[in-house]
Amino acid sequence: MKVSQIAGFLGSGKTTAVMKIVDELMKRGRRMAIVVNDVGEINVDAKFIESHGLKAKEIAGGCICCQIAGTFSETLAKLHDAYDPEIVIVEPSGVAIPWGLKRAAEYSEAKADMVIEHAPVITLVDATRIDLLVKAVKRLVETQIREADVCFVNKVDTASAADIAKTEQLIKEINPKAEISHMSSESGHGIKYACDLIEKKISPRYDEAVEEELLKKQYKG
Amino acid sequence: MAEMTHIERVMAALTNAPADRLTTYPIACGVNRKLVNGGITYREWCHDPKLFAQAFIEGQKAFDYDFAIGLMDLSVMAGDLGAGVRMDEQNTPFVDRHIVNSPEDYEKFEVPDIKKGRSAVLLEGTKLYADKLKTEVITAGFLEGPLLALSQSAGAERMFMDMFTNPSAVHKALETMTAYDVEMVKGFGKTGVAGLCWDYLWANYSCLGDDQYEEFEGCKKYAVGLNELTTKEGMAVAIHSCADLPHLDTQIFKFKPAIYSMAYYPLIPGSPSATEVIEKGYADNCLIGGQIDPQLFIRGSVEKITQVTKDLCQEVKTALCKKGLQGKYCIASGCEVPPDVHTKMENIKAVVDTTKQYGKIDW
Repeated sequence: MKVSQIAGFLGSGKTTAVMKIVDELMKRGRRMAIVVNDVGEINVDAKFIESHGLKAKEIAGGCICCQIAGTFSETLAKLHDAYDPEIVIVEPSGVAIPWGLKRAAEYSEAKADMVIEHAPVITLVDATRIDLLVKAVKRLVETQIREADVCFVNKVDTASAADIAKTEQLIKEINPKAEISHMSSESGHGIKYACDLIEKKISPRYDEAVEEELLKKQYKG
Repeated sequence: MAEMTHIERVMAALTNAPADRLTTYPIACGVNRKLVNGGITYREWCHDPKLFAQAFIEGQKAFDYDFAIGLMDLSVMAGDLGAGVRMDEQNTPFVDRHIVNSPEDYEKFEVPDIKKGRSAVLLEGTKLYADKLKTEVITAGFLEGPLLALSQSAGAERMFMDMFTNPSAVHKALETMTAYDVEMVKGFGKTGVAGLCWDYLWANYSCLGDDQYEEFEGCKKYAVGLNELTTKEGMAVAIHSCADLPHLDTQIFKFKPAIYSMAYYPLIPGSPSATEVIEKGYADNCLIGGQIDPQLFIRGSVEKITQVTKDLCQEVKTALCKKGLQGKYCIASGCEVPPDVHTKMENIKAVVDTTKQYGKIDW
C-alpha cells in the first residue's frame, strides 16, 4: 500500500488539491482512500470518511512518538483490511512532521498483512501569502519544506510573478534537494503531474537503519 | 550501598545526594488499564476515577516504578471547554471538532466547572491513586499548559496563524486557559500528590522561537505564574516535553522544575541526547528523565529494549560521573508508553528490571 502525504499550512489549498488528486487517480483506475486532518473542510465523501473513522488527528511536535503513531497506524491497517486501497492520500495538519508520519505509517505493517511504500512527500506552498507565512509561521513552514521531496508553488494563477519567484527562492534556500513545480489547485494546473509523481515515484522509508547506526556510534558500537 | 526505598531514591536524586541506583519510570499510564479487571477499554479508564486510579495501583504492583504520574490524555481540558472529542474504545481520545471558527470565538471561552466532566475524573482519580501510593512512591498529577489546551481547542494551525494576525484574541483565550489551569492546580493541590507535571508542548523550536514562546506561554502571566502557584499549593513542578527541539534554557534554567522529562530523536539534527543534556548543565539542578523511544514498547523485543536500557544507563552514568553528579537522571520513555493494545507489557518490566541491575551508582 502506497502512502502519499500532501502537506502544507492552513490555507495552502491542500484540501482542494487532495480532492482533485483523488479524483484524477480514481479516473486512472486506482483504488483510493484518504486520511484527512479536518473532515469539515472536505465536501466530497465526508459521510463515508466519517462513518469509517478515517480521520487523522492533529499531529504535533513530538507527539507522533507515542499516542498518535498508534492511532494513525491503526487507521491505515483498518483501511487496508477493509478496502485494500492501492494508494492512501494523507492530508496532515500543517503542524505535522512528515518523517513522523512516515514512521507511523510503517508501524501499520505490524497490524495488517502489507508493506508500506511512500510516494514523494509533497508540500504545497501558497505563493499568494508567502510574506504572511514567513512572518507568522516561519518555523512550521520551514519544517514542511525541509522534509518535502517535491514542493508545489500553489496558486500560481493568482500570485504575482514576484511572489512566485520569492516562494521558489525560499524553497531552494531551505531544501535545495527538493524538486520545485507549480500548481493551481483551483484550476487544476499541476494536478496531473502530482498524480504522476504519486503513482510512479517512491520516497525513502523512515530509515531505522540510519537511526541504528547513529545510536551505535553514540554508544560506541 | 544498601537498597533504598523508592521515595528515598527519588529524594536523593532530586537533591544530588548519593543513591543506590538511577530512578526509573517508563511513562506507563493508559497502558496500565490492561492490568485492571483483565483489561478495560480506554473509554472506561478515562471516565471512571476508580478505574483510572486502579490502573496506576496495578501498574505499581506489576512493575515497581519509582514514580506514579497520572497522565490521562491531552484532550481533557479541550473536551470540558466544549470541543468534540473522539472517544474510541481502545485509542487515546483526541479532539476532532475544534471550537474556534473566527477570531471572535477566542473571547467566548469560559472556565468550565472542574467538578464536572473529565477534569473531575482526573482530579478524583489522581486523589485515589495518591492516597494509595504516596507512601510508597513519588506521585504527581499531570496537566496541560495553557497554550496546549488552547491549541487542542482551537486547532494548532489556526492558533499559530492567529498568534500573528490576531494576537490580542489569542491572549484573551490564553487568559481563560490560564484561569482554568489555576482552578486545576488548586484541585491537584488537594489530591495529596507530591508534584504536578506540566505539558508545555509548544516550547519547541520546530514551531516557536524564543520570543514567541515567551510572549504566549513562557512569561509570568502564564507558565511562570502557574509554576509559582504549583509550588505555593505544595507540589513540586515537573515538566514533560516530547518535542523534537525543546526550549531547554527556558524550560529548565528559567522555569526551574524539579523534574524534566524529554524525548530524543536521533535523526533530527539538534535533538539533544542524554549526554548532551547532562554535559550542558541541564541536570545540575533538575532531575532529567528520558529518552527511550516509546515505540520500542510496541515494536521492540525484550532483548532489544533491555539492550537499549542498558546502553542508556551506561551513557548517563558516564556523563553524570564526568559532571560530578549523582543520580540526576531517570531512565524513562521519551514520551508516554503507547497506550496501545499491542504494547508489550514485558518491555515495561524489562526497562525497570534492567535499570535496577545496570543503573547502580558506583562512582
